[in-house]
Amino acid sequence: MTEIRLDTLTKRYGTSTAVDGIDLTIGEGEFFSLLGPSGCGKSTTLRMIAGFVTPSAGRILLGDDDVTALPPEARDIGIVFQNYAIFPHMNVAANIAFGLKMRKVGKAEIDKRVREVLAQVGLEGYENRYSRELSGGEQQRVALARVLVTRPRILLLDEPLSALDKNMREEMKFWIKDLQKSLGITTVYVTHDQDEALTMSDRIGVMERSRLVQVGTPEEIYERPATLFVTGFIGHSNLIDVTARPETEGHCRVHFAGADFSARVRGALDKETPAQLAVRPENVIVDAETLPDGVVAFPAKVVSETYQGPIVRYRIDIQGTTITAERQNQAHRPRLAVGDAVLAGWDPARCETLLR
Amino acid sequence: MRDSNDAIAWPFYVGSALALIVLVVPVLIVILTGLNAGDYMTFPPQGLSLRWIKSFLTSPTFVPAYLFSFGLAAATMAIATVIGTMAAIWIQRRGGRLAKILRGLFILPLVLPGVVIGLALYVFLISTGLPLARTFYGLLVGHVIVTTPLVIATVTAALVDFDRSLEDAARSLGATAWQAFFRITLPLISGGIGAGALFAFIVSFGQFEVSLFLSTPDLQPLPIAIYTSLRYRFEPTAAAAGIFAIALVVTSTVISARLVNFRRLFGGR
Repeated sequence: MTEIRLDTLTKRYGTSTAVDGIDLTIGEGEFFSLLGPSGCGKSTTLRMIAGFVTPSAGRILLGDDDVTALPPEARDIGIVFQNYAIFPHMNVAANIAFGLKMRKVGKAEIDKRVREVLAQVGLEGYENRYSRELSGGEQQRVALARVLVTRPRILLLDEPLSALDKNMREEMKFWIKDLQKSLGITTVYVTHDQDEALTMSDRIGVMERSRLVQVGTPEEIYERPATLFVTGFIGHSNLIDVTARPETEGHCRVHFAGADFSARVRGALDKETPAQLAVRPENVIVDAETLPDGVVAFPAKVVSETYQGPIVRYRIDIQGTTITAERQNQAHRPRLAVGDAVLAGWDPARCETLLR
Repeated sequence: MRDSNDAIAWPFYVGSALALIVLVVPVLIVILTGLNAGDYMTFPPQGLSLRWIKSFLTSPTFVPAYLFSFGLAAATMAIATVIGTMAAIWIQRRGGRLAKILRGLFILPLVLPGVVIGLALYVFLISTGLPLARTFYGLLVGHVIVTTPLVIATVTAALVDFDRSLEDAARSLGATAWQAFFRITLPLISGGIGAGALFAFIVSFGQFEVSLFLSTPDLQPLPIAIYTSLRYRFEPTAAAAGIFAIALVVTSTVISARLVNFRRLFGGR
């Protein structure tokens, strides 16, 4: 159990900056995801922690140890790569034994620990197989077993699910998460997939163009995105043009389509200003007759309907602004028809005002 | 099951068959000429005998030339393999413009006519007065220059397939840079190194143009000895020597094919 601290960690390549002054503390036993589009610097950050990339500035601390200047082999870190990097000229047992051999562990002890870890990842009897004889999921388990057997201080996972097909990905998501929890090992998980980050993480750090733009629990990131970028990157949001006026700390008065209501905002605003209101499609409530209390309601019209199985997606027109709404496809809720006059609205407590 | 699309391939079969004939027929002619019973190199042979084989095996010029070529090829192979492997790895890891330029320079001996390289090296050694001219080491340098690009080419091909994250994984598991290289990288590119070594050996063994400029009467590789012999006497001993040369090349190829998976190198996978 080791805490990870990144202190103004920076990587520059010539004139371009790949990672720009990241300050971050990842707690003991925490599952932390670095989430962002490709080229945002998340992989470079991971490779700096692993020791494959030398930082241009800043420090990396594992617990109380400053490992910034240490080579990868001296850091005692386990890393699983996107393509698993199973040594193709060694069988599964030799792959797993590799780290122990480098640590000069005795033969009997190696055999014992290899057997134990294979049982732990559910691959008993796979000792003599080669990587070409393993499925993607099995290679993934071998890669994890290979690092876990050395009992590393922290675990780094670099997009470990992206090479798997959809069903296997779903299965491995929960398997990895369960394994991580049972071991209590501090884990940094790099991904561009918001679903993975939301389901697996204790906390998520969203990166955009070399910077860490928001750190929070999955719920905080999803419910209260800090910037327009985070709003767009995590899930879908309706971005509605509104006017915002100062109100209390953390809230502003939002004016839209003749209605006035209070909504959350980050940062202070001192005068009336154009802004965007982010409303998740699942938070847009549409009904033919009445909306619950506390919901700002607008007369609206159904423009189109898309049937998606468990949910039905509607495009709704509110006085010239078209927004998307999602409704559970449930038997007791009759479907709406295109052209219907309806009421549409949202609970202001579930919206975020984003200033430009 | 063959489907009808295979019909399109018949021109390719014909082309391959022609290529095979062009490649194999001269070799067969050399072998048959070497087994000729007559006094001169003629084809078709006037009966078969081991007369010229015996003449080769007792020849005071061909046997030493054969052994000399063998030793020269072995030494060339050893040096070219080490230099070529190191150069290929460095060029690939370095990347960028300098690597591109160096890659071009290293391939140069492959595309330059051998006569030009031989002449250039000869003039260089004579005019600089280096003590290498007309010595075994001068000849060795010439052979290493022509064969190293082959090793660089095959090792580079192997490195393209090599996944650097394997090395990273090894490092992270506690291996030093050297341990990762010797335990992971080297075994995985050994196919390319082996193929390069074999090519270096074969090319050095058959090297003519560079040897022509750098060899001396007492340091005669086999191709030069055959050439010299044919200039004065049109005797089938030279063809018999050719049989032994072919045998050596075939044997070394078969042996290395057992040690090295050529299919991997040439894309069979």
